[in-house]
Amino acid sequence: MLEEIVISAREALAIGASIYLSAFLFGIIALLIRKPYPRAAMFTLLIGGFLFQTLGLNLRGAEIKGCPLGNIFEISQFIAWSLVLLYFLIGPAFKLRLLGFFTAGLAGLLAGTALLIPNWDQPYPPGIFGGNPWIELHAALAIFSYAMFAIVALVSAMFLIQQHGLKNKQFKGLYQHLPSVQQLDLMARRLLITGVVVLSAALIFGAVFWINHPERVPIFKLTATCLVWAGYLTVIVLRIQKRLVTRRHAIASIALFIFALASLWPVQSARDTIATEVPEVPQTSE
Amino acid sequence: MSEVLQSLFVLGSTHHQAPLEVRERMALTPENAAALQQELHALDDIYECLVVNTCNRVEVYGLASAPTVEATVRDFLCARNGVSRELLDAHSSWHTNLDALQHAFEVSSGLDSQIVGETDILGQMKNAYADARAAKCTGIVLNRLFEKSFQAAKSARTQTGITRGQVSIGNVAVDLANRIFGHLRDSRVLLLGSGDVAEKTAQSLKSRGVADITVASRTYENSHTLAHSLGGAAIELSDFAAQLKRFDIVISSTAAPGLILDRDTLAAALKQRPDRPFFLIDVALPRDIDPTVNKLENVYLYNLDDLSNIANENLELRKAEIDRARIILKGYAWNLWLQLRRRTLMATRQEELGLES
Repeated sequence: MLEEIVISAREALAIGASIYLSAFLFGIIALLIRKPYPRAAMFTLLIGGFLFQTLGLNLRGAEIKGCPLGNIFEISQFIAWSLVLLYFLIGPAFKLRLLGFFTAGLAGLLAGTALLIPNWDQPYPPGIFGGNPWIELHAALAIFSYAMFAIVALVSAMFLIQQHGLKNKQFKGLYQHLPSVQQLDLMARRLLITGVVVLSAALIFGAVFWINHPERVPIFKLTATCLVWAGYLTVIVLRIQKRLVTRRHAIASIALFIFALASLWPVQSARDTIATEVPEVPQTSE
Repeated sequence: MSEVLQSLFVLGSTHHQAPLEVRERMALTPENAAALQQELHALDDIYECLVVNTCNRVEVYGLASAPTVEATVRDFLCARNGVSRELLDAHSSWHTNLDALQHAFEVSSGLDSQIVGETDILGQMKNAYADARAAKCTGIVLNRLFEKSFQAAKSARTQTGITRGQVSIGNVAVDLANRIFGHLRDSRVLLLGSGDVAEKTAQSLKSRGVADITVASRTYENSHTLAHSLGGAAIELSDFAAQLKRFDIVISSTAAPGLILDRDTLAAALKQRPDRPFFLIDVALPRDIDPTVNKLENVYLYNLDDLSNIANENLELRKAEIDRARIILKGYAWNLWLQLRRRTLMATRQEELGLES
């Protein structure tokens, strides 16, 4: 069925990114003219972007015959896709105003940047995961947890903006449409815990692969991933102990997400090096 | 008598000239305001006198024998509130004659208020006038001026939309509380003092879902009465610091001469609940809450100026109505001015005829 579609994977992903950015622009215009945007319109635009991005990732998956998580371009697209999916799942439950606007902005930025940098879309040998379902699950869960951390970073940014407005007695524009600081703080805390649980699960599945094939897992990747996990776990522990709360919690969440994103590129480079050195792993029965 | 009319004056220090930290130094206690009024009225050069003393203005209205009384009035006001002449001169205004009439009318109608169009000022002007009249400090001119200003205020309000779309301090506080807590049904409110603005703010919060309100006032009876009307509880004012950690919103409006909530007390309460915000509303003058607490993490402090500035943010939309009200008041001021002039001329004519005969 996918073969009948005339559009290429990259084109579908480009349309998806454009729709996300249009949604963000729509939100900015609404805020500039000081009118709350219609939520239904934002939701529809995000659905449009999400459908095209899903199509693009499916086409890419069909090309490589696996989960499209083989290079930075695909990982960025997958994080953006997971971010929007998470918004659809948690947005209606939490009813946080402007979350759709910020989600559209970050998804557009991630997906758009990935499209604009050709080096991120380096070809890689087929069967990069060795046909191992555990490692594919590990990768998908890890990226999904990154999407959760992306939402936490967004919510934290919204918290800092609202707090800045309240501290500096700002009442107009963006500030009056943002959710309350207490709601944002609560949501960041809950999502952070969920994100760490998902990342922990991803690491457990990854460990199964690592124990069997330690030569296939670059030490830099292992260190960076463990550092990200340990960082988030520390934030949660400090938060439960009420030693890292509100503003500092928000700053830590944003800083950790930036670190997590920044660590993707060297992790990918290290994996590419290993891929050229180590022969392909045969499918296991795990 | 013609000289007398030339010397109708208003000396005022209001939110227009003085920031909050200056206004709290200018503020007079009710006893000091009454004493100032009596002192000025006792002077030979001042025939009539009236002091308006609210949280946003200290104004002396008077009728003098000559315009040269300005320095005297300023000195007496400084002596009463204990501020220097330089400070008063830098943060005050002086209106005479027709300007004084126009100013009084704008004050009564709420056009000169910090929250433009608010109606509380009319009651405060009426009270000040009633007190001055009872103290026999007013005469024909100030009586006429104030009675006419109440009429003019009513006309301006009914003929224009200056009060339409007006945002009260209570509504602003509710909006801010929503930005901090989201829904308010779980928020606990502590009312320090039983001031009018604080009570109205508490009522606004209650109407938006707040269920737990506690009142602490200097006199336990006042606390109890107010707590009863708000459906809350009363505690001793001396106990509030120990119980502070239980509350989310604190509205303070005591008449205390100094701070009653300092940074250390709040920091200690915050330590016991670091992840829950404190929303502090200080509507007292002089202020009750140390302004530096706003620098504490998770503390949001708003004083009278902050709330008024927010309330006035939609002022541009009402600008046309405010201009219309000002024109109406100008008409009233001119009419009164001409009436007073005619009365003065007739009195002068009668004096001359009396002398001739």
